[in-house]
Amino acid sequence: MIATVFPLVGRRLLSSVAILLIVSMLLFVVLHVLPVDPAAMSLPPTATLADIEAMRREMGLDQPLPNQYMIWLAKVIQGDFGASIHFRRGVLGLVADTLPATVELAVLAMMIASALGIVGGLVLFHVRGSRKEPVVDFGSIMLLSIPEFLWSLFFILIFGVALHWLPFTGRLDPDLRVPAGTGFLLFDALMAGRLDIFFSAARHMILPSFALGIAFSPTIMRVLRSSLIDVYQEDYIHLARLRGLSERRILLGHALKNAILPTLSLMGVQFGFLFGGTLLVEVIYSYPGLGNLMVDAVRNADLPIIQAVGLAYCAVVLIINTVVDSLYMVLNPKLRLR
Amino acid sequence: MDMLIAKNLGVSAALPDGSVPVIQELNFSLPQGKVLGLVGESGAGKSMIGRTIAQLLPPGFSVTAGELMFDGQDLVRMPAETRRELLGREIAFIPQEPLSGLNPVLTIGRQIDEHLARLGIGNARARRDHALGMLNDVHLSHGADLLDKYPHQLSGGMCQRVLIAMAFASRPKLLVADEPTTALDVTIQARIVQLIAEMQERDGTSVVFITHDLRLAAQVCDNILVLYAGRPAEYGPARSVFAQPAHPYTRCLQLSNPAMSGPRRALYALPERMPGLSAIKGIEGCLFAPRCPKVVPECTRALPPFVDVADGQVAACIRPETTATIAAPALSASDAPQAGVPLLEVRGLTKTFRIGGGLFRNRAFTAVKDVSFTLHQNEFIGIVGESGSGKSTVARMLCGLERPTEGEFEIDGREVSDGSTSSRAHLRAHVQMVFQDPQSALNPRRRIASIVTQAMEAAGGTSGKERLERAEALLLEIGLPPDAARRFPTQLSGGQRQRVNIARALCVAPNILIADEIVSGLDVSVQAQLLNLLMQLRRKRGFSMLFISHDLSVVRYLCDRMLVMYRGEVVESGPTDRIFAAPSHPYTRTLLAAVPPDDPSAVWSPQPLETDVVAPADMLQEANV
Amino acid sequence: MMRILPPWLRSARVLGGLTIVVIISLCAVFAPLLAPHDPNEQDLIATFLPPVWAKGGQAAYLLGTDSLGRDVLSRLIYGARVAMMVAVLASFGAMMIGGTLAYIAGYFGGRIDSLIGRAVDVWMSFPPVIMSLILMVGLGVGLRNVILAIILVDWTRFCRVLRSEVLVVARKDYVAAARLVGFSHWRTVTREIVPATLPLLITLVSLEMGIAVIVEAILSFVGMSVSSNTPAWGQMIADARQYIYDSPWNLLFPILAIFFAVFGFNLLGDGLRRTLDVRLTATQRV
Repeated sequence: MIATVFPLVGRRLLSSVAILLIVSMLLFVVLHVLPVDPAAMSLPPTATLADIEAMRREMGLDQPLPNQYMIWLAKVIQGDFGASIHFRRGVLGLVADTLPATVELAVLAMMIASALGIVGGLVLFHVRGSRKEPVVDFGSIMLLSIPEFLWSLFFILIFGVALHWLPFTGRLDPDLRVPAGTGFLLFDALMAGRLDIFFSAARHMILPSFALGIAFSPTIMRVLRSSLIDVYQEDYIHLARLRGLSERRILLGHALKNAILPTLSLMGVQFGFLFGGTLLVEVIYSYPGLGNLMVDAVRNADLPIIQAVGLAYCAVVLIINTVVDSLYMVLNPKLRLR
Repeated sequence: MDMLIAKNLGVSAALPDGSVPVIQELNFSLPQGKVLGLVGESGAGKSMIGRTIAQLLPPGFSVTAGELMFDGQDLVRMPAETRRELLGREIAFIPQEPLSGLNPVLTIGRQIDEHLARLGIGNARARRDHALGMLNDVHLSHGADLLDKYPHQLSGGMCQRVLIAMAFASRPKLLVADEPTTALDVTIQARIVQLIAEMQERDGTSVVFITHDLRLAAQVCDNILVLYAGRPAEYGPARSVFAQPAHPYTRCLQLSNPAMSGPRRALYALPERMPGLSAIKGIEGCLFAPRCPKVVPECTRALPPFVDVADGQVAACIRPETTATIAAPALSASDAPQAGVPLLEVRGLTKTFRIGGGLFRNRAFTAVKDVSFTLHQNEFIGIVGESGSGKSTVARMLCGLERPTEGEFEIDGREVSDGSTSSRAHLRAHVQMVFQDPQSALNPRRRIASIVTQAMEAAGGTSGKERLERAEALLLEIGLPPDAARRFPTQLSGGQRQRVNIARALCVAPNILIADEIVSGLDVSVQAQLLNLLMQLRRKRGFSMLFISHDLSVVRYLCDRMLVMYRGEVVESGPTDRIFAAPSHPYTRTLLAAVPPDDPSAVWSPQPLETDVVAPADMLQEANV
Repeated sequence: MMRILPPWLRSARVLGGLTIVVIISLCAVFAPLLAPHDPNEQDLIATFLPPVWAKGGQAAYLLGTDSLGRDVLSRLIYGARVAMMVAVLASFGAMMIGGTLAYIAGYFGGRIDSLIGRAVDVWMSFPPVIMSLILMVGLGVGLRNVILAIILVDWTRFCRVLRSEVLVVARKDYVAAARLVGFSHWRTVTREIVPATLPLLITLVSLEMGIAVIVEAILSFVGMSVSSNTPAWGQMIADARQYIYDSPWNLLFPILAIFFAVFGFNLLGDGLRRTLDVRLTATQRV
């Protein structure tokens, strides 16, 4: 069974690489119609016109756009994403420092979104046709209307400012130092045996990850509910009843296994959006991840960072999609065996 | 001992304007080991009886009168938990759609295993052995491989065998088979019916066999209950109900079914259709009276009582003696116009589809292989075959919806298979298609007038008024009231929609009509109306037709010549009468033998198809396509 | 009275959503008449006033004032202008591009379909927030570019959902029948396929309007949208966040305004979907 999934996943990965290449091209084009001159920006204000011209030549900016792209791509393949104009540091290092924080936040949020979504979907399905349905359904539309950045601000107001329950800036209490390691703080703290750091980091992650998770759960709820309703129209559910199976067994053994498929394919898309949603949440919670790096870069028109961070976002989304698709193939025999 | 007894059973549905009877005054008794046939057209309430047995009625439906005794216990009044214990153990069901009756994401093995575990076989090893034995009993070879397969990898017939195996796993006392063969091809239908009979005999099971096919019921059942609008019309031993129907409805059903043997006779077409739930309340007296050819004023006074007409045979009719005098109109000699000059000439038509279509796998599947024939003016040719035989692909190629891979065809002496604009225009002027499913073929957002005159709209240059006039004329011709022009398709019944479908094709007055399974989803009485309409139009307009159908009796009734297709190839062709009298190809013989005979006392001996023994790999491929 | 109304106007959801949308539209259109103050008028001796019902509130400033002593209510009302303008123009633009491509892809199928499908794949690999941010870098700040960015990002939402619906409709026999009686491709699409998918399109536009409001707020929040003297909800949030301890109210009101607007569009969209009987597959039905 697993063996039959491999070629499909391989194909998926191959197309992901192709997509990444196209994305990099689009990014390059979009960012190079900019009115600002990166060469002038990367030099001190005292530089002469001749200096700028020399810099332009050195950066390859005098060449036609396709050539510039090829030069850039050749460097990227060797792992050279250029240097930040603003931070005066290698871009790759900056991204590598911040990416784990964002991924950690996103993974936690995805777990929360899935848990809330599946439980909520079952609740929505359970109340169907009853008098509670309009109320619950109304509530789910309300939830659907609150994006992650409103949740973030709302949580700060309630749990941070009003109740003082939880911290809402940064990743750690100011007196603690980030332990060296993978960059995944929860993991590193455990490896270093520093429970104080672990709990501090966990407390800092509660609000941002819940803000993200809650924002993306109503979509999952509603899809799970609709697909369950669809599945319950199917003959095999009726026939399972005629075979005398209990309702519980029908839901868990038959209906959920089918209804999870459309839910899963939607989750792939949603988790891509969720990963982008980290940007705002990070900015609001001053969480040192890719999002803050990106916003800083945008404010400073720091092209090498924008390019690299954009690609990083894209790569993670493609990885998420590949993982979800592979899971889908494992769960759906129709795709697996053809 | 009687296994299932219905005593004055009544089921009602709560509609917005009050409660309506869905089933009324249902009485029958089913002895152990016997088969009871529930026969009627759609809407007669026969499937509702199946659901009443399981007490899984749709929301708003409830049993309002009488009792339903299974093995001495009242199914209606017993606690739900007790009833659930009976389901799947003592009472088993076989569904209409075998493919959708199995969970698509679980293997066959898992589903059988789950059922056996519920039946109390504790040990996984024992369950597997038991499952293999069950599959063997329903004549599925390679059982061990099958257990690891998913439903979509199996053909419909194989799925039905699996479901039959599961149904008989507990050696149930009662089996409810709801149209178990309707979704299957005719040769497979015969084998499934034989299989059910075999299993039933083995376990001494009593069977409730729900079907719309009177001929099949006569062969399979011991007793028959004919239902009309939820009320029994006639009940009695199968042979005698069939040989001497006492209720006019039974007789009319029989006469509206085209015969498989003997001289061709005209079909008796009942007017209108069975009243729906909302219409039942408005009928005074006998529910069948509005359509009955022998109706007298007394019929509309009260619901007719059940009258004993013969030994064990009861009919709900006050004048059962007049039933025998109902006869179909005679076929006039002019019904078969002489064929004229060749109109359509098809040479070596072949269609190959590429499936998979990926980088790695690419398989070609030949749907139609080297088909040649000539259609003459005024000639009706029937193309007969089972699903996957390529008959619909032939139709789609001939009207330009699909480009042939090889071969060509000419219409009225002009080669038209090249797909050029002028060819298409030529094709359009001469050939029109009537689609199978009126639901899909009529745009629900257009009014009928706009649908039937679409061709005029396409050509342009006509006013709305002209089109409306033309639409009304066309509707009159196909037997719909002119005011239907202003309605939407959803406001019409299935049969009426199919008439609209025909009217649209006739709008350009084509020489050739291609009809793809146009009566397949319809009830026999509506089918008879449509077939008579086609005969009438043929007399009046004089066109040629390519009539594609899986139903041999319909083709026999309508067509002068026929082609038998099997796996993309024409295996036999010739005059219809000749093929029915003396089929030469073994496949044609199997096909003909698979249809239950007209005469219920004749022995129905469907022969196993010689190519029955297909390797599973081959079968899987078929199922995948 | 209820009898003459079309069914879609009888649904509580549609009516509720429509009411909210109309209220916000009225605010946007008649902002100068409705707003008690000039939204940019500063009252530096009355900064951080709480709303009138809280302790220290003043009747002149119903919802209080911000860090520069500007009237929050007036700024909210004027903020509706930016929100509605973006909602209408961006969703319409995204519908035009996404819809057209969806009809082309779904109807013709084959190579053109897979090409458009690839383009959607590329777009979908980019989180919308990130993509609009990058587009804003390329296009430059300003409301016009915000609208353009939303269109360029969100056409895929229309294209993805509509394409699969068009695919279903295009397989119907009545489409084949229309071709057989001689309808041109153009006429087949406009007369047979577009009417069948119109309810879906309307529903999607309603939902997209809510999304556009959110994206605009996000972009004004990071300072990429309107200039600082045009009041916008996202900008108000960004301002208030810096003074979160001084006046939490300032943060709460624009949050509620955005929620109210998005809720209105979502409610309307959901109601339309139900009453116009848009049969979506489970995944599209969100």
